[in-house]
Amino acid sequence: MSDIALGKKIVSDIAASDIVETVPSALIILDRNLNITSANRAFYQTFRTSPSETEGCLIYTLGNRQWDIPALRTLLESVIPHRASVEGFEVEHDFPTIGRRTMLVNARKIFSPGDHDGSILLAIEDVSEERAARAESKRNWQLTQSIVDTIRDPLVVLENDMTIVTASKAFLTIFGITEAETHGRRVSELGQHQWDVPALRNLMEKVLPENKPIESFEIEDDFPGLGRRVFNLNARKISQPGNHAHRMLLVFEDITDRKQRERDALSLTNEISHRIKNNLQVIVGLIAYEAKWTAAPCVQGYKTMQARIGAIAQLYDLISQTSLGRTVAVDAYLREIAKAMSASLLGNMSGIEIEVEGEALEIDPDRAVPFGLLVNELTTNAIKHAFPDGKGHIKLCVERVDDQIELVVSDDGVGMKDIGSAKAPEKRGSDYVAIFVRQLGGTIVPPDLQGIGTTVRIRLPLLLVPPESTERVAA
Amino acid sequence: MLVVTASMGRMMAVILIVEDDVFIREIAEMMIQGWGHQTLAASDADEALVFLRSGMSIDALFTDIYLKRMVLGGCDLAHQAIALRPDLRVLYTTGNSVTDKTKALFVVGTQCLRKPYTEIQLQNSVENLLAA
Repeated sequence: MSDIALGKKIVSDIAASDIVETVPSALIILDRNLNITSANRAFYQTFRTSPSETEGCLIYTLGNRQWDIPALRTLLESVIPHRASVEGFEVEHDFPTIGRRTMLVNARKIFSPGDHDGSILLAIEDVSEERAARAESKRNWQLTQSIVDTIRDPLVVLENDMTIVTASKAFLTIFGITEAETHGRRVSELGQHQWDVPALRNLMEKVLPENKPIESFEIEDDFPGLGRRVFNLNARKISQPGNHAHRMLLVFEDITDRKQRERDALSLTNEISHRIKNNLQVIVGLIAYEAKWTAAPCVQGYKTMQARIGAIAQLYDLISQTSLGRTVAVDAYLREIAKAMSASLLGNMSGIEIEVEGEALEIDPDRAVPFGLLVNELTTNAIKHAFPDGKGHIKLCVERVDDQIELVVSDDGVGMKDIGSAKAPEKRGSDYVAIFVRQLGGTIVPPDLQGIGTTVRIRLPLLLVPPESTERVAA
Repeated sequence: MLVVTASMGRMMAVILIVEDDVFIREIAEMMIQGWGHQTLAASDADEALVFLRSGMSIDALFTDIYLKRMVLGGCDLAHQAIALRPDLRVLYTTGNSVTDKTKALFVVGTQCLRKPYTEIQLQNSVENLLAA
């Protein structure tokens, strides 16, 4: 043998033994009588045995005869003699040392030079965990399918490529299609392509890669056999344990009846709102007409009355945007009042500005009426009395102070000390303020007569709800 | 009933008022005439279209949105009016909430006066309308 050939053989021998010791599969070599001639480290570790207990043993007697398995006997005695190799022979057995295991056995006849009988190389892979995971996965899908079939709302499970893997019985029944018609097809291809909506497609494409669920995507269309329907679509990513592939659950909620009820309610609300506002408009018109024939000193009183009616109407607008049990956003409400008062009492050319600084708080509709009227009275007082020269700044502020709410109406006008003794109209205004404060269960903080202008502080019990605890509806 | 009201004061503009509530319509007419404008009055879209299709001079349309049973009748009327008279100015009024969906139905660049409106609010809106 040349040096090169010898070198190659040494490298080859070293590499073979290294490979044998390194591979994770348990390997054993049997002679023609099925006695074990050698085994690798993985075998000894997996089956908790040693070379002295193993080598020279008949495989069936090894380890207290734990390898005396009928299936293995079949492989070694009936299959191997007639075939050069066998792959993927699965053996499930209760091993005394390691418990119940599923082994995947690959067998191959090997021949050394001069050895005509040959040996048998067995590679034994413990696939118990993989098989258990597969069985668990199968059980999970069966469970999922049975859950899917019991849910009344139609739903489908989609693959990564948006094709349907599973459709619930409700889906098949409602849309009048068979399981075969859904399998492997995209949702957008079903029916008369009602679901083929670009916005929905865009959202669906983000569910799996970005883990971005679809919440309440509404589709209204004519469906064969169903007529005009409104469906609410929700989708989210679902994962199987032990499986890296993700799928999408797409649920179709039929909200046709609910939408109709909402539309009926909205229509009724609009009708009632229309009538109420027209009646208020008639009242405002009557006041405007009366004002024309009234002596000039009394006209301001009529205008104030119109502003009070306007405040109630404005409040009604905000409340009508909410459903029962919901709340009104105080900051938005204050802005609406300021806007209405600027328009009704100040006009385009006024030098008086009303600013609103409102914390994000909410008020229940029952208390919103006196609260709005209270703000209206205080602001009207400021407009009427604080700015003899017609220029100034009024600030409406509401904030939470500990367990109370503080409403502050301030101006940079002449201040109360410069206002003369109380006249009848002002007396009425302050009476109204006192009534509204009592109605709200609050108190008026004694005014500080020093400093610029007038500041009225009113402390109210925490009847305003923090926004995080309720659903905010008014904007 | 079609009513043509002569101006009580100096002639400034001709405003077509479309309002199905007779009292509200007449009070609005009275206010607008009080500022020197001439008014035309209609109780629904059909009556208003008779004016709009006539050769009469009309500068502005002041229309309620909810006209009789037509929830958005004023919006439809305004679009028909603009189709007939592209230079017409439009001011809407309504007692209902003006949602984004409703605003989307407005003629571009128009305003809406919420009911109940006071005389000064109507005056400001009309002045803005005619100044635009």
